[in-house]
Amino acid sequence: MSAMTDLDACAREPIHRPGAIQPHGALLVLDPASLKVIGASRTAMDWLGPMALDLRALPEAAPLVGVLGRWLAGDLPSSEWQGSLAGRVLQSVAHRSGDLLILEFEAAPAEGREPLELLFPRVRRFAEDLTGAPDIPALLAHTARFIRSLTGFDRALVYQFDADWNGLVEGEDGNGRLPSYLGLRFPASDIPAQARQLYALNRTRIIPNAGYAPVPIESLGPRVGPGLDLSHSVLRSVSPVHLEYMRNMGTLASMSVSIMVDGVLWGLVACHSAQPHLVSLQMRGLCDFSVQLVASEIAARLRGADAARRLALGQLHSHLLASMTSSGQWTRGLEAMPEALLELVDATGAAIIVDGEAPILIGATPEPDDVSWIVSQLATIADGLPWDTASLPLIWPEAERLADVASGVLAVPISDYHTSWLLWFRPEVTRTVRWAGEPHKVVTEHGRIHPRQSFASWQELVRFTARPWTDPERDAAANLRAAIVGIVLRRAEEVAELAEELQKSNKELEAFSYSVSHDLRAPFRHIVGYAELLRERETNLDGKSRHYLESIGEAARAAGQLVDDLLNFSHVGRVSILPRTIDTGKLVREVRHSLELKTAGREIDWQIGPLPNAWGDPTLIRQVWFNLVENAVKYTGPLDRAEISIRGEDRDGESVYHVKDNGVGFDMAYKDKLFGVFQRLQRAEDFEGTGIGLALARRIVERHGGRIWAEGEVGAGAHFHFSLPVPGEGESDV
Amino acid sequence: MSDLRPILLVEDNPRDLELTLAALEKCQLANEIVTVRDGEDALNYLYGQGEHAGRPDSSPAVVLLDLKLPKIDGLEVLEKVKGDPALRHIPIVMLTSSREERDLVRSYELGVNAFVVKPVEFREFFEAIQDLGVFWAILNEPPPRLR
Repeated sequence: MSAMTDLDACAREPIHRPGAIQPHGALLVLDPASLKVIGASRTAMDWLGPMALDLRALPEAAPLVGVLGRWLAGDLPSSEWQGSLAGRVLQSVAHRSGDLLILEFEAAPAEGREPLELLFPRVRRFAEDLTGAPDIPALLAHTARFIRSLTGFDRALVYQFDADWNGLVEGEDGNGRLPSYLGLRFPASDIPAQARQLYALNRTRIIPNAGYAPVPIESLGPRVGPGLDLSHSVLRSVSPVHLEYMRNMGTLASMSVSIMVDGVLWGLVACHSAQPHLVSLQMRGLCDFSVQLVASEIAARLRGADAARRLALGQLHSHLLASMTSSGQWTRGLEAMPEALLELVDATGAAIIVDGEAPILIGATPEPDDVSWIVSQLATIADGLPWDTASLPLIWPEAERLADVASGVLAVPISDYHTSWLLWFRPEVTRTVRWAGEPHKVVTEHGRIHPRQSFASWQELVRFTARPWTDPERDAAANLRAAIVGIVLRRAEEVAELAEELQKSNKELEAFSYSVSHDLRAPFRHIVGYAELLRERETNLDGKSRHYLESIGEAARAAGQLVDDLLNFSHVGRVSILPRTIDTGKLVREVRHSLELKTAGREIDWQIGPLPNAWGDPTLIRQVWFNLVENAVKYTGPLDRAEISIRGEDRDGESVYHVKDNGVGFDMAYKDKLFGVFQRLQRAEDFEGTGIGLALARRIVERHGGRIWAEGEVGAGAHFHFSLPVPGEGESDV
Repeated sequence: MSDLRPILLVEDNPRDLELTLAALEKCQLANEIVTVRDGEDALNYLYGQGEHAGRPDSSPAVVLLDLKLPKIDGLEVLEKVKGDPALRHIPIVMLTSSREERDLVRSYELGVNAFVVKPVEFREFFEAIQDLGVFWAILNEPPPRLR
C-alpha cells in the first residue's frame, strides 16, 4: 500500500453488505410468501415491540400488510405506506433483495410540517426554471437552490463527473455555515467505484448523523446472514471510512441524489449540514423526483447540443467532400479548405501525409521532420484504426518539445497499403485545476489509510496536455476517412475507365495512321512519278516548263517527306521502348557515316569527345542522334568551315550528351518553340525540313525519362543537350 | 531457260499500276507481265481457276504483290500461297506504300521473299522495281524439281 495515491482500500470494502443499518430507522427481513419476519434490526424491536416478530399477529398492522400484499401482487405501483404502529407515526418502504423482502421504517415528519401536496406548485415552478435556464451551470445552480430549500441542509452542491470520475462542483447553494466548494474538483477516489455503482442503483442516500452507532440486523431464522444485500436499502449503514471523511469535511449530516443521464451516473446533488439533520423518506422521494427532472433536462440539452454539433460537422463534411471531389486529388481538396478541415475536429493544426511526399501542413503544426517523426511513431502502434491522445508527451516523452503545437494528436490512417495519414493537432493547454484538497496526499496511520483531512483548495498545474478529443470529433474524423477512401476508390475506377478509353482511342489513332501511311503517301508518289515520266518524254521543253515540272516534283516529294515524318512522330509516341545498353560512340560514327552524302565536299571539323554508353532503345536513340547531328550539319551549311563538337558524360545518375555547332544558331527568345511540332525558326527556302525533327527527338528522349534542351545565339551556333537516366542495379542487361 | 515465265503484278491502284509497268518496261524484260487488280483475281490466276481457267500452265517467275487490295488483301494472298506446298516456291515480293513495321513483320512471318516500301521519289521507285524484276525474273532460278 506504500505508493497508493488514493483510497483503493476503500474501493474493496463490500459496502453493500454491511449487516447493519443506521439508527434513525427500523428494518425487518420478511419471507415474501408468508410475510413471516425472519430478521430484524434492534431498532425494530425497540420501535415495534413484539409486533416485530410477526406483523400479521396484530390488527394494527393490517393496513400495512394489505399494502404489502397488493404491492407484491403487482396491484400497487409503490410499497410506500404511512400510519401509526405501536404508538409511533411511521413511514415505510419495502423492496426485494434476492428472495427476501426488506421492509424499512422511518419516523414520519412531525405535525405542522408543510404537507407534501403544497410542495407541488413549487416543483412546477422549479421545472419551469429548469427549462428557462440559459445553460447547464445555471440549471445546476437552480437545482442546488431548490433542493436546499426543500431539505433545509446548510449547503447543497451539484457535482458533474468528468471522464475520469473526478467531480467538479458546478452548482452550489448554502447558508454560509459550511465552506463554499464551487468550482473545485473532488478526486475520483472520494467516491470509489463500487459506491458509484450503488449510487446508480439507489438514487438517494441519507446519513442524518455521521456520529451514529450502526444497528445490526439480527437473524430470527437461518436464512439471514451477515451477507444480506442492502444495495437498495434506504437505511443501509455506510462505510466507517466514509463517516470519517464526513467528519473530516466538517459535516455530520449528508444526503445525496444521483443525476442519472441516459442510464449513466452524470453527477450528484450532495447536501450537507454541520449538525445532524434528517429529511423524511417522502421528502427524499420528492428530491429524487426533482433531480430526475433536472436529469431529463440535461439529457435533452446534451442531445440538442450534440445534434447541433453533428449538424455543423455534417455541413463541414460535405464542404470538404465537395472540395475533394472537384479537385483532382483528395489532398488538394483538403488543402483548399484549411478552415473547414481544422474546424471539423476543432483543431489548431493539421497535416496530410501521403507516402513519399512532403507533408502538407495546415495551421499550427510541428516542423515537417517532426510530423514525419510522429508518423513513424504511429506506424509502430498502428492497427489501421483512428488513434488519438490529449497528451503526446505522455506516450512519447521526446514529444515534449512539440507540446506547444501538438500535445493533442488525432490521427486517421487513410490506407493500409501506403503510409497515408491525416493528422490533427491541438496545443498544450496549461490548465490550473483547483482541487478540493490535495488528492494525492495519503494519510496513513497504523497501517490504515484515512480519507484526507484537508479540503482546502489546492492548485495543480497540468502540463503537456491538450483539450481532449470528443466522440463527435472522433466520429467526424472517421467519417472523413471513409469519404477519402471512397473518393480514392472512385478515382481509381475513373482512372481505369480513362485508361480503357485511352487505349481505345490509341487503337483508333493507330488505325488512322496506318491508313494514312498507305493512302496519303501514294498520291505524292504518283505526282513525282508522272512528272518524271513527262520530263523524260518531252526532251525539248523550254527552261521555264522544266522548272515548273521540277517544282511539281519537289513539292510532292516534300509533302511525301512530311507524311513520313508525321507518321514517324506518331509512331514514336506509341511503340514500346525496348531498352538495351547502347554503344554511343559506335552509334554516333554510324550516324556520321549515314550523313556522308550531305557532308560531301564540305569542310567540317568534327570534334568527338568521350561518349559514355547509354541505356535506351537503340533504334529510337539513333533517331535522336541523327536528327541532332543532321541539324548541326544542315545549319552550318552556309559556313566555309563548320565546327561540330559531340561529347558526353555521366553525372548525377544520368548520361548527358552535347552536340554543338557554329552554325546559324537561333534566338533564345524562341527556345520554347524549338522542340514543338511544325515549329521552324528558319525560313523554308533557306533550310529544308519539315519542322518535326526536334519534336521527335524530344518525344523520344522524354519517353526514355530524359530531358532535352538547347542554347543558341543568332549567327553564333547552337548547343543541344540531352540526358538519359542511367538505370539502377538490376535494370541493365549487363 | 527456254520458256520465260510471266511476272504477275497484283495492283489495284491504276496509277501505281501504270508507273510500275513503265518501270518494268524500262528493264526491257522479255517476260510477259500479267496484271490482276485484286487478291481474289490473283489467287484465281495462281490456281488457274475462274477467269483464268485454262491459262498456260506455267507458274509466274515472281509475284509483285501490293499489300492493300480489295476483296482479299495482299497478306491473305501471301498466306495462302506460302501455305500451299504446290505454290510456295513462287517468289513473292510485297510492295507497299506503308512503312508500318507490323506489315513487314507479318509478311516475313508468312514467308515473303522480299518486302519493298514504295519510295516517294520516282527514281528510287524505278530502280527498286527494275532491280526486283531483273532479280526475280532472270537471276532467280526456280527450284530444280520444277524445271
